[in-house]
Formats: sequence, C-alpha cells, structure tokens
Amino acid sequence: MSAPQAIDLRVGQTDFEPDFPTPVRERRLTVVPATARRRAPRRLFGVVAVLGALTIVVVQMSLGILTTQSSFEISSLTQQQRDLTYQKQILSDESAGLSSPQYLAANAAALGMVIDESPTYLRLSDGAVIGSDKPADAASSVDAKGRGSVSNALISGVPLVTDPAASTTENGAATPAPASPAAPAPVEGAAPTTQSATPPPISDGLPTPATR
Amino acid sequence: MRAMTTTTSRSPRRRTVVALAVVLIVIIAFVVRLVDIQVVNARDHVDDSLSMGLQNSRVEYASRGSIVDDNGVPLATSVNRYDVQIDPMLAAKGVTTRDDDGDETTTAWPDLATQIAAVTGQSAADVQKIVEDAVADDPDSRYAMIAKSVSTEQYRALVDLGLPFLSFPPQAGRMYPDGAVAGNLLGFVGSDGQALAGLESADNDCLASTNGKVVFQQSRDGVVLPGTEVVTQPAVDGGTLKLTIDRDLQWYLQQLIAEQVQNTGSLRGTITVVEAKTGKIRALAEYPTVDPNDPTATAPDDRGSRAFSSPFEPGSTFKALTTAIGLDSGSYTPQTTVTASGREVLGGDARVSDAFSHGPNVYTPTGVLIDSSNVGISKFAEKIPAQTRFDYLQKFGMGSVSSIGFPGESGGILHPVQDWDKQTFYNTAFGQGLSVTVPQLVGAYQTIANGGLKKPLSIVEGCTAADGTVTDVPSTEGTQVVSTDTAREVSLMLENVATQGELASKIAIPGYRIAIKTGTGEKVDENTGAYKPDAYFTTMIGFAPADDPQYVVAVNLDEPRTVKSSAATAPAFQKALTQVLKSYRVIPSGTTTPELPKFG
Repeated sequence: MSAPQAIDLRVGQTDFEPDFPTPVRERRLTVVPATARRRAPRRLFGVVAVLGALTIVVVQMSLGILTTQSSFEISSLTQQQRDLTYQKQILSDESAGLSSPQYLAANAAALGMVIDESPTYLRLSDGAVIGSDKPADAASSVDAKGRGSVSNALISGVPLVTDPAASTTENGAATPAPASPAAPAPVEGAAPTTQSATPPPISDGLPTPATR
Repeated sequence: MRAMTTTTSRSPRRRTVVALAVVLIVIIAFVVRLVDIQVVNARDHVDDSLSMGLQNSRVEYASRGSIVDDNGVPLATSVNRYDVQIDPMLAAKGVTTRDDDGDETTTAWPDLATQIAAVTGQSAADVQKIVEDAVADDPDSRYAMIAKSVSTEQYRALVDLGLPFLSFPPQAGRMYPDGAVAGNLLGFVGSDGQALAGLESADNDCLASTNGKVVFQQSRDGVVLPGTEVVTQPAVDGGTLKLTIDRDLQWYLQQLIAEQVQNTGSLRGTITVVEAKTGKIRALAEYPTVDPNDPTATAPDDRGSRAFSSPFEPGSTFKALTTAIGLDSGSYTPQTTVTASGREVLGGDARVSDAFSHGPNVYTPTGVLIDSSNVGISKFAEKIPAQTRFDYLQKFGMGSVSSIGFPGESGGILHPVQDWDKQTFYNTAFGQGLSVTVPQLVGAYQTIANGGLKKPLSIVEGCTAADGTVTDVPSTEGTQVVSTDTAREVSLMLENVATQGELASKIAIPGYRIAIKTGTGEKVDENTGAYKPDAYFTTMIGFAPADDPQYVVAVNLDEPRTVKSSAATAPAFQKALTQVLKSYRVIPSGTTTPELPKFG
C-alpha cells in the first residue's frame, strides 16, 4: 500500500514546486537555435540567388540564340516560299489558256471528235428513243480546228497536244472575211466544209473488248 | 522605462511606413512615366524610331477580284506582272566584276543591253537606245523604263542576270484564260490596271481591291525581327463577280457566229441565249469581238458589245408583239381575219407592201405571222389604238435601257405616240420607224415565252466580297405584260411559223417543238440618213421547247451578202438552239405542234 502513497506524494510535491528557474533556462535555449537556424538559409539563399541569376542569364542567352537562329530560319524559309511562289506563277502563266474551250475543242477535233447536231435520248422507263435517232454526222457542226475564230493570245502558236504539228488558228478576230467574189463563201444550207481530218463514222460500233 | 518601450516598438513600424511610401511614390512615378511614354506621347516616339530607320514598312498587295462564269470557272483572274526600270547613269558605266584572282573584267552596256533584250523580247538596239537617250537628256538620270508588265518568268530571268541597276516594281496584271470567250462582255483593263470597258468597268466597285500596309522592325541587313510585324492597314482583295454566262456555250456560239458571218459575208453577227423563266443571259456571242488579253489587236469599234450599244430596226420580229398587244387589249381574237394584198395604200396616204406579191388573202393573225405580211399586220394594227400599242411596247421594254445597264448600252428609239404620222403608225406595227437593241428584243420574246411575265434581264449573278458577303444580286421581280392566255396563243402562232413557214425544214430540230419569227430590218446610212440600198439587218428569234419554253435564242446578222433575207440566219439559229437544248439537257417535247389555220 506504501507504493501508491509514495506516488501520490510525489505528484503532490511536483505540483507545489516553485517554477521560476525553468523559464530562464528555456529562454536561453530558444535564442541559440534561432540564430543557428537563420544563418544556414542565408547562405543557401545566396547560392540559390546566384545560381538563379546565372540560370536566367544562360536561359536568356540560349533563348536569344534560338530566336536569332529561328529568325534566320524564318528568313530563309520566307525566301524559299517566295521562290516557290515565283515558280507557281511561272507555271500557272505557262498553263494559262490550256483549259480554254477553244484549245480543248481544237484538240478534240484533231482526234476526229465531232460536235453532233441533234441529241438523242433513251427513255429508261420504256426504252423509247426520243430525238433525231441518227448517228453523228461525219462533219462537226462547227470547225474548231480548221476555222478557229475565237482568238486567245495565251495559246497562239501553242501546239495541240493531240496534233503537235498544228496549233489553234491565230485568227484575226478583228477582220471579218471580206465579201469578195474571189473568196467563194460556202453556199447556204450546204454541208459545212471542214478542213479537219475527220475520220468516217464507224459503221459496226466501236471496237470493244469481249467480256464475260 | 515605459517611454523607451514605446519608441522601440514604434520606430520599426514608422520605418516600414516610410519605406512603403517611398516605394509607392517610385511606383507611381514609373506608372506616370509609362503612361506618358506608351499612351500620351506614343505617336512621337514611334515617329522618332521611324526616323532612325529601325522600322520599315511594306505594301501588302491585294489582288483584283476574279470574274467567273455560271459554273465558277474563272474568265478573268489577276496575275503578277513586273515593270522593268533601269538606272541609266549606272547602266551606262557597265558592270565590273572581280574574279577569284582579283582580276577585274568590265562588261560594257551594249553587251548588257543584249542580255536584257534577249529576256524581254525587245531588240538590243531598242534597249540600248533607252539608256543612251536618257543619259543624253540628263547625264545624272536615275530612272528610265525598259519594259512594262513582264511576266514572272522574264522577271526572274532578269534578276538572275544580277544587274544592280535594274529594279522591278510589281504591277497588277490581268489574265483572261479563255481569251476572246465573252470578251465582248468582260471588257478589259489598261496596262495600269484601270478598268476600261465592259463588266470590268461596270462592276469595278465589286472587283477593285485595297492594298494594305505592314510595319515591322528590321536588323541592319534587312532581316525582319520576329514578332515586330504589325498590319497597320489590312489588304482587302476584290470581290468575285459571278456571271450568268456559261463559258462552253458562249465559246460554241462565238465559233458558230464567226463561221456564219464568214459564210454569209456579213459585217458582224450576234447570238443571244436567255433563260426563259429567269431572264438570265446564258450566252451573248458576237463576232468580231475582242480578246481582252490583247485588246489592241482588235479594231476600236469592235472592242465593246454592239448587241448593247447599237440598236437596229427589228423588222418583222415585231409582228409577234403587235399580235400579242392586239389579243391582250381585246382588239381582236385569234379567229379575226383581215383581207390583205401584196401592196396597199392605207389610211389615205401610207404605202405598205409585202416582201412578195400576192392577191387579196383573208389572213388570220397566224397567217399574217407565217407569211410575214406587212399589209396584214398593218390592218390588224388599225384595230388597236395607237396609245395602247405605245404603252404596251413600253411595258415590253422598248425605248428604255434594259435592267442590265451595260456600259454604253442604248435604249433604242421609240418615238412618242404624238409624233407618229400615218406612215409611222403602220411601220411600227412591223418593226420599222423604231429601233431596239438585241437585249430589248430578246426581253420581249422572253415575256411571250414565260407566259406574259417579263423578267428583268441579268448578266451578273452577284458579287461575293472577300469576307463572304454577297451583293449586287439583281432583282428577279417580274412584271405581267400580257396575260398568260395571250402569251400562249402567240406562242402557238409562232410555233406554226416554225412548222408552216418557208424555213420550216431548215430550222426543225427532231423531237422538239420550237417557236420562231424572222425579221429583216432596213439599215440607215449613217452618212446620208436615208435607208441604205440593198443592206439589211436580219434576225431570227425563237424559243424551245414551245410547249414549256426554257430558252430564248436570237441570231442577228448585219448585212449578209450571200443570202440577204432572214434565211441567212437559219442554219446558225438551228445549230445554236440545238446546242442550247443539248447543253442544258432539255427533254424533248413528246408532242407535235397543233396546226392553226393560216387563212380565214
């Protein structure tokens, strides 16, 4: 029973002990670590700051180098783009007029193609043939190659793709044919005279491969 | 002890306040200065930097808009061209080059001139002379023009010569890929890019572009500093002008009319195609006409569109209008008859005669149209009050410029009714004593083909600006000129002209019902003011398929020689109408024309 009593006494003793020596000791201890703690970060901050400054300088320099480099790169690419633009312009100048109807028609005429007079329609519902019901004439309704009369300065003298020996007629659109008796104009209603070498129509259909 | 405590605790606080105040004052000072630099005096500083040559600017070229056809195929586009300028003072000295060994070689100006001439296609002597003349005028001359509007290929070749005294200011060029196709309508631009004729000029507001300006900073060797480019004025490209024209059809008809003009020895000719239900002009072919790529190759008189600018006496094509007016005003019916001989004196002193002599015929209106009897139509016209006829003609569009408003378009001549004497009263019934343009006549037939509803003719579909907004869309609001019944009756009569007339076999198109009327107008000699002997302006106009008209086609020939009557136009009309029906896949009629009685 004595042991619990002794514990109780000690507890009571500590409760009534004077407490002023303890705060003095504590103040001394707190001041020292505080100064020690402050010193170490100052040095670290210095190192970090210097390193940071250096990093900034290095980064800025390399960024500067990269920017300059890319500005030269941009400059050379711009030059390249300009050259390509010139090339594109030159090519489009060269090909201008090749898609014009008079050039296409003259090329087609050189292949022996004709512009048919009357259309013929096949009605799908009952198979009825509506229209002229005749094969195309051997002669074209207009002569795009021999008498090309719609001038185009862009293709004057340009050889036909389908007949390199010929080109679209360079016709002086400004000078209508004079009505001189020496130049006999084709008689009205007569079959139009065509100089184009139009082959005769194929009588027994186009040659087709045999398929199964 | 108490006082000390307060000072020690207050002094750091005061210091902080003072420090903050100083910092704040400095910040405010900086802000004030910043605003002063960046906002208040910004302009001055920018100007200062400009004067130091750190900043440069360049023109951002905008291109003139394209003109495209109904399917969007370009008919006129912008291309880059370059002028070739020279510094004569430097050029005359020749070029000195130094090779690797340091030896100098000088190429004299005449040799350089030969090199330049070989590229530009001029003669060496010409190029040489330009510089020599400039130097002779002024030994310190720094500017002369060698060539204008050279192509990019030539420009690059000249740059490759490496001559320091050449400069190449860019120019806006214009190219017409299809040449003379629709050249009469498109017009052309001058070498300075100024629109001179046709739609180029009429719709310049749509097509014109605005150049922009870019300001940038540059290094000493001219490299643009990245991120310093500022667009101070944006470049705005011109709008795209869309036409109602179909370029393939236009080409075919131009080729066709050219051949027909040559075959008949005519002065010129026109073929016009108008969509009956909308009034859209699908083709307006003329010969001779201009290639806008090279306008100077064409005579000045042939560079425009005579279809719009030169009115003509329509002749018998007008009889259909007189008939429509008579029927619509209730003056007579399709069954009414008149007795007409080949030559008669009407109204006391007006002489009217037909193209062929015949005894008294009892004509229906259909018969008058089939035989194209001047006496017959005059007798029908007697039944209509003159004022009524005049009012109707105005509603048909005679005497006023069409809705297109083409540059130089004429409104034709329709004299006021009080100025009509007895002879004019009869002559106007068969298309004499007045004049019309091709679009006016085609517009009147479009009215008949479209059930009496006249649609305003149009050649422009609209203008699409660079930002996508569409403007200049023409009005589509029509006016009912004659009743649907009248239009149908006249259409049926014109069909009978096609089947019973003397040209029936020449104009027939298998499978289609077509309506036509021919006309031969006399020509006034511009010098004497009298009718030109033996010179006619022939017309054939019609539409198909007549049971549901889709397209109106008109062919005109000016002074045909081999055949002088309207028969001269028949082959071209037949081919033109066939091509139109084929191009637009118009379904054949499937019925035949009901025959109307010619005589009562």
